[in-house]
Parts: sequence; structure tokens; C-alpha cells
Amino acid sequence: MSDQRISGESNPPPEPEGMSRRSFLRNSAVFASGLAAVAAGLSPLLDIENFPSLQEFMQKYYKEMTPEEMKKVLERIEREVERQYGIRPHVRDLKPLDGVEYVYCLNLTRCIGCRKCVHACVAENNQSRNPEIQYIRVLQMQNGSFDMEKAVHDYNPEKVPEKGHFYMPVQCQQCKNPPCVKVCPVHATWQEPDGITVIDYNWCIGCRYCEAACPYWARRFNFTQPEIPADRLNPEMDYLSNRPRSKGVMEKCHFCLQRTRAGRYPACLEVCPTGTRKFGNVLDPNSEVSYILKNKRVFIQLKEELGTSPRFFYYFDV
Amino acid sequence: MTTAIRNYCVFLGRCGRIAFVGDWRYYSWMGLLTVFCLLGLNAYCRQFAHGLVVTGMSDQVSWGVYIANFTFLVGVAAAAVMMVIPVYIYDNEELHDLVIFGELLAVAAIFMCLAFVTVDLGRPDRFWHLIPGIGQLNFPASMLSWDVIVLNGYLLLNVHICGYLLYSRYQGKKPAKWFYIPFVFIAIIWAVSIHTVTAFLYVGLGGRPFWNQAIIGPRFLASAFTAGPALIILALQVIRHVTKYHITDKALLTLRSIVQVAMIINVFLLLCEVFTEFYAGGLHITSSKYLYLGLHGYHKLVPWIWTAITFNLTAMVLLVLPVSRSLKWLNLTCVLCITGIWIEKGMGLVIPGFIPTPLGQIVEYFPTLNETLVCFGIWAFGLLCYTIFLRMAVPILQGDLSKANEREALAGTVAH
Amino acid sequence: MKDSVKTTIVLNVLIVVFLALATGFLLKAWGQPAPLQQIPLVDPEFIKTATVRVSYSELVAAKEDLSDFDCYGCHEKGKPPVLRFDDKHMLIIPEEHKDIVMGHGRNNRNNLCTNCHDENNLERFQTRDGRELTFSESPELCGSCHGPTFRDWNAGAHGRTSGYWNRDMGPIVRKDCVSCHNPHSPKFPGRQPAPPPHILHPPTNPAPVAEGEH
Repeated sequence: MSDQRISGESNPPPEPEGMSRRSFLRNSAVFASGLAAVAAGLSPLLDIENFPSLQEFMQKYYKEMTPEEMKKVLERIEREVERQYGIRPHVRDLKPLDGVEYVYCLNLTRCIGCRKCVHACVAENNQSRNPEIQYIRVLQMQNGSFDMEKAVHDYNPEKVPEKGHFYMPVQCQQCKNPPCVKVCPVHATWQEPDGITVIDYNWCIGCRYCEAACPYWARRFNFTQPEIPADRLNPEMDYLSNRPRSKGVMEKCHFCLQRTRAGRYPACLEVCPTGTRKFGNVLDPNSEVSYILKNKRVFIQLKEELGTSPRFFYYFDV
Repeated sequence: MTTAIRNYCVFLGRCGRIAFVGDWRYYSWMGLLTVFCLLGLNAYCRQFAHGLVVTGMSDQVSWGVYIANFTFLVGVAAAAVMMVIPVYIYDNEELHDLVIFGELLAVAAIFMCLAFVTVDLGRPDRFWHLIPGIGQLNFPASMLSWDVIVLNGYLLLNVHICGYLLYSRYQGKKPAKWFYIPFVFIAIIWAVSIHTVTAFLYVGLGGRPFWNQAIIGPRFLASAFTAGPALIILALQVIRHVTKYHITDKALLTLRSIVQVAMIINVFLLLCEVFTEFYAGGLHITSSKYLYLGLHGYHKLVPWIWTAITFNLTAMVLLVLPVSRSLKWLNLTCVLCITGIWIEKGMGLVIPGFIPTPLGQIVEYFPTLNETLVCFGIWAFGLLCYTIFLRMAVPILQGDLSKANEREALAGTVAH
Repeated sequence: MKDSVKTTIVLNVLIVVFLALATGFLLKAWGQPAPLQQIPLVDPEFIKTATVRVSYSELVAAKEDLSDFDCYGCHEKGKPPVLRFDDKHMLIIPEEHKDIVMGHGRNNRNNLCTNCHDENNLERFQTRDGRELTFSESPELCGSCHGPTFRDWNAGAHGRTSGYWNRDMGPIVRKDCVSCHNPHSPKFPGRQPAPPPHILHPPTNPAPVAEGEH
């Protein structure tokens, strides 16, 4: 037992007084150079812009905030946006209206595939221009088939519509049974009483499970700090909708709730040149959408067989 | 009480110190791993500063090589239990001490899993949102919340079992059965659950028909119990080579028979999957077409999956033949198993689920240099941890590091 | 070589390697993220909400110049304009109205000004069932033939709306038929689409794919 050897070591027996000075210096040099490499390795962290403040880091979950806490948060967001873009925005926290459930009807006879809705949405909702985030994706479909495999995303002819095709814009369907809400590990996304599925951008951890779960490819992730030109910033903002997001969080169509909860139409509807898009309260029997759902006969809910029960109804006229 | 804590601290201190002592092969290996860890750390800092745009992921393919490695390593961690079952249920004494090596591998693998998930997050600073009670863990609806719980639970279980057995051996005491046997049996069931929960992450997504299939769960377990014990076979031979610890060939051959059965089941399940997809056809098989045959001119994954299938079939044939009883062939077979299954679970499972997107768009994925460095860094970190664990465990099991020679060690007459 | 010498060599090599790594990290020698592709900002024309035309009702409401609609500024009262046709029975548009292109209906079946305009009172429209309508009531004229579309327009399901869906909170703004449709050639002409979407990591050498696919 006095001839103990460390397993694997075939060194000569250790010196009685422990390490020699030379080996101590050498070992320290290894250690020091290692530490230098670690410190240098961490140097990219110096490139971080917009490091979250302590208040942002400790911010409570949306549903647990008192109105006073929310007011402070809104003021903080206004200050941050002003610091970054030079414009003082107006950030509110609109609550859902009572007795309202939103539904979107889209007339596939009328869509000409001009993509104005895509860009109106980008402008209204302060989406990143580079990298490009667009909530709406217009598909050029072949007449006679709903096969997405044949859909073309990057069509760019001289003039639209092209013969033999119909055009189908797809955005978040605000499903009644949303798979994204089910899979979010931290409840960062949930469905509000008026049917809109929202995201608390300060709670999302960026795991992108919801993006994998969505059957409509409706959710977008901020892979880096979003770039919004300051002269195109929309200063009318809402906490759950179009305030500028940070890198590393998800976002998606929220039916322009900063407009719709104030009673107005969403931006995509207002810009559509052919009146393809129809939006309103399905619980109101006098709304356009109630009329459409009562009188039109061909309805498509995309991927209906998945049981998501989308609130987006595609139809053809007459 | 204080004596107990003091004794434990002395134990930990000696364990820590021994990790820095070794011969030139040890320093070369640890040095190499440290270099990769540093490269990975630097690459991750760049990702933390700039965002996930430094990876090859996009909105179309939103999970990549990080989650692929995570999936593979959860399987490896679960497979440690494959050694526990013969020992505790079938009373196979040959494997008794080796259980600790398997469970230490599981601990290292879980560290790697947690690291891979953390580097994949867009906002890792918000990890506290996952802590139940403080955050808002969406249990039981979200399978990711289950994953958080079962992975951390499995880590604690294995750390407890290994730590207790090693500390008892260090103290020269016989471990109290009630303090570890129940945990061992819980760990057996828990190991199956961690990999099933990880499988359910994918299976539960109705919008991705490539994943929404019942066969994914059994396939995960079959491939895990192939690759895991194969890794352990290789690890045990390394231990045999660099230490004086005695590992019998019989132990290695017992593990071989586990790999053999699991690989046969894995290949059979692959056959079931391929038949189900391609016989009837239909619009929902576009991802399988992309993977095995290429789709509309996009075919980046086709050579990968066919290489994986070749490796797996070759390994299966070798395992069935007696030639793999010889260590040289067994080692080759293990390498084929591990590589084939890594490709199958990574490129063959995660990426095709995203191609084409639910709206039919095809955008291919390839990891960037930064992403690859982070992966190497985490693998190196895991191997570093495992090497350190073994560096502590083997002397304890052999009696070289024990309470008996504590006094000499502290007096400095022994080098550690 | 003695093992202790090997150990010394290994450790010295490690020192060099660590310092080289540190230098490489500080000099940012590898792994820098590729610069993002330049995506031009969209032409603001694509996000304008204005209709392509302005209807008579809108002009009246905005108190704009209505001289374009003063038919009897040129025509004589009591003298209905004479329609001229070529040998293929196609209407010949007079020089004064050369900006009008007739294209209402297929196979030129609606090729007659008097199908809508009352030749005896140019400031009024006439419907098939003999009603007289002012310029502001043009939707009724369209609806006299296009019944289902008119019914949908009345319910809000056809045509453009803007303003408030919630009438309690504000007014809805409905557009007349002629704000979007040219009454003489109502079918929408094709238009240039806004630019297609960009992917995050464009391939450096794109794979050759079939025309028109993905």
C-alpha cells in the first residue's frame, strides 16, 4: 500500500516535498494560458447590443401583471423605442372587446396575388425588413388543386393574376384548437377571449417549438436583431402586437389587434385592391362575415382534417 | 454532522485534484478536448451576441443540428439503463461495477443534452421561465415541459446513485441497499420515459405528417438501445486500455447481444416505416420522398440517409455473424452503429420534418462553421466530463483512492 | 523518451496552443457571421390604400371639380348623340371620348352606350326596367344586371371596405362600384405584383430547379 500509484501514471515516484518549482511554474503557465484563452473566447460578448435591462429580465408574466405594473412596462417600452428609433411611440394594452369573436373570410375568386397585403402588414406591424419577416405568404396555386406541393411562393411575373392559377394568402389562422398554444413550454402564447392567439414577447424563450407545431407555417422567429427603418416605424403600438420585438423571440399575425380591438379593420384588409378580405365579429349576425358564412357555399378551412378549427374561411363566390 | 460534511469535502477535494493529474496521454487528450471546448465557447458567444442567424437555421427549417444532437444524446443517456437491467433484474454480477461507468456516461450525456437545448434557445437568459413555481411551466400540455422535468430528474437520479455508490466505496463501507436500490429501479423506468418523452415531442405535432406517426417512439428506443451500449462497449475498452481496471470480455459480449437485438428491431422498424410511406403514397409522404429520393431537384440528404442505412444494415449483418465476437470486428460494428444511428436521428429525422414546409416550400439546411464549432464544443465538454468522472471513479473502485490513504495523501507523501 | 519528458512537451504545446487560440479569438480570425443580403425596401406604392379611381359620389363629397360630368357643356339638349358602327358592328368611339375603351361584357355584347346612358337625358342612367338613376346612384345601375354581386355589395361581402368594423366605435367606409371598376371596361387589368419573399440564407450557387417551381 505504500507503493501507491495513480492508475495509468507511470511517472517516477513523487518528490517528498510535493511539486518541484519548475513543474509548478509550468503548470501555472498552462493554467494561465488556458484562462487567457477562455477570456479571449468570451470576447464576442462585447459585441452585444441591446442587452436586456434588469427590469426586462425580471418582468412578470403578462397575465400576472397588475395594471400599475403594466403601465410601468408600457412606459419602459416607449422609452426604449424612443432611444432606439428616435420616435416616441404610443404603446397601449388593449383588452379584448366583449361579445366579440373575430373571423376572417377570404374570397379566392378575387385574390389576384399582388402581395399588397403582405407589405401593408409589414408596415403596420413593424416587422423586420432585413432579415425579412412577413406574416402573410401568398401562394400561387394551380387551378383545380389545393396541393401545396405544387404551390409557388416566389412567383414574380410582369402582371398578376396569371392564367391557370388562383392565389391564396396564408397567415395565422387563429385556430380554435391551436397546436402552438399546446406546445409552448412557458405559456408565452395563448388564445385571448376574442379568438386572437397572442404572444408575450417578453416571456418567450425562443425554443421554436411553436414554429414546428404550426401546420400553416404562420409563426416567425427573430434570428437576429430586427431592422426597421426609423422613417417607416408605426408609432401606434400595442403590448401584445406590433411593438418592436427583440432578437430571439417569436412573432406572428395577431389580426392587427392594435386596430381591431379599437374597432378598425386590419391593415391587410384595407389595402387589398380587390376587396378579397373580409373581417368582423362572427357573433354579430349583421356583420359581413356572418353574411358570408350564411350565404356562400364552398368553404375551405385549410388542413381541416388536423382538427385545428381555424378561424380563417376561404371561399369562392357564388 | 460537521465531521460528515468535512469528510465529504475532503473526498470532493481529492476527486477534484486527481482530475488534474495524469500522464502525457491524459494531458494530450484533455488538452485536445479543452481546445474544442474553447472553440465552442467562443462560437457560442458569437451566437449569443448576434442571434441564431449565425446558424444555418431559418423559419423554414427551424431546428437543426443542435436538436439533432440533443435527440441522439437523450437516447445514449437512456441506454445506460440497458446495463442496469441485467445487473439488478437478472443478477449478472459480471456487469456490476460497470453499471457505474454506464451511469456516469448517462450523466455526461444529460449534461450534453441540457447544453444542446440551451444553445438552441433564442433567449437563454429567460430559462427561469421554465422553473415551475417561479416561471410558467406549461405542464402537462407541452411535451417540452415534460422533457425539462424528466431530464433533470434523470440527472439527479444518476448523480445520486453513482455518487452514493462511489462515496460508499471510498469510505470502504457497504452501501445501504434502501438508499440506492429503489432509485435504481426508478431509473430503469425513468430512462425509458426520457426517450419516450423526447419522441413524443415530435410525434405530437399533427401538422408535420413525417413525425406524426406511432412508429417514432419505438424507433427511438430501438436506436437508442443500439447506439448507447455500442458507445459503452467502446468506452469500456478505452478504460481497459488506459487503466488497470479489469473488464472481462464476457461483459463486452453481453453488451454486444443487447446491441444485436436492438439493431435487428431498429432495421425492422425502418422497413415498416418505409413500406407504410411508399406503398400507398399520397400527399403526406413528401418529406419521405425528399429524404430517400430527393424532391423537385433538392437532394442534399439523399446520400446521408443511404449511407446511414448501409451502415446499419452492415452492422446488423456483422452483429448476427459470429465474426463480431472478435473485438476488432466488434469495434468496427460499434462505430458503424453509432454513426449510422446518429445520421438517422439527426439528418434522417429532424431535418426532413421541415422539408417541405407545411405550405410546400423547400428550403434546404446545412450547418454553418459556427454551429459546427458549438456542437464540437459541447461534445468535447461531454467527453471532458466523462473522462473526469472516470478519472475519479476508477481509482475509487480499485481502492487507490480511498479513505484509508487519506491521511498520507493530505500529508503529501502520495502525489494525490 | 521518458514519460516525464513527453509530459513536458505536451504541456508546453498546450501553452502555445492556448495562446494561439486566444490570439485567434481576439483577432476574430474565423466564424464571423456572413453579412445579410441586401433587401431593398418595398416601393411605398404597394402599401397605399387609395382606390384606382374616384367615383362621382366621392367627388361630390370632397367638393371637387365636377366639370368632367357636365355632358351638356358639349352636347346639345334635345339632340340625342348618334352612335356609329363599323362594318363588324363594333362601336366607333368618337374622338372626344377617345379615352373610353369599350370592354363591358364578353363577345362585345354590351357594346352600346345606350344600354346604360339615357340618350335623351345624358345626365342620367337608364336601367333595363326603365328606371332613371343619377350619377351618384350608379351602384343601382350595375346591380340591375349584376344582381348577386349587388346583393353581396349591399351586405358588405363584395368590394372594398375600410374604417371601422365595429359601427359603435366609428363609421365604415364603403366604396362604390366605379371606385374600383372602370364602368366601360370593368374587368381589372393585371398589375405588377410586389416583390417575392426572400429566404434567410440564400444559397451561394442555387440548385437548378424546374421552371416555375419553388
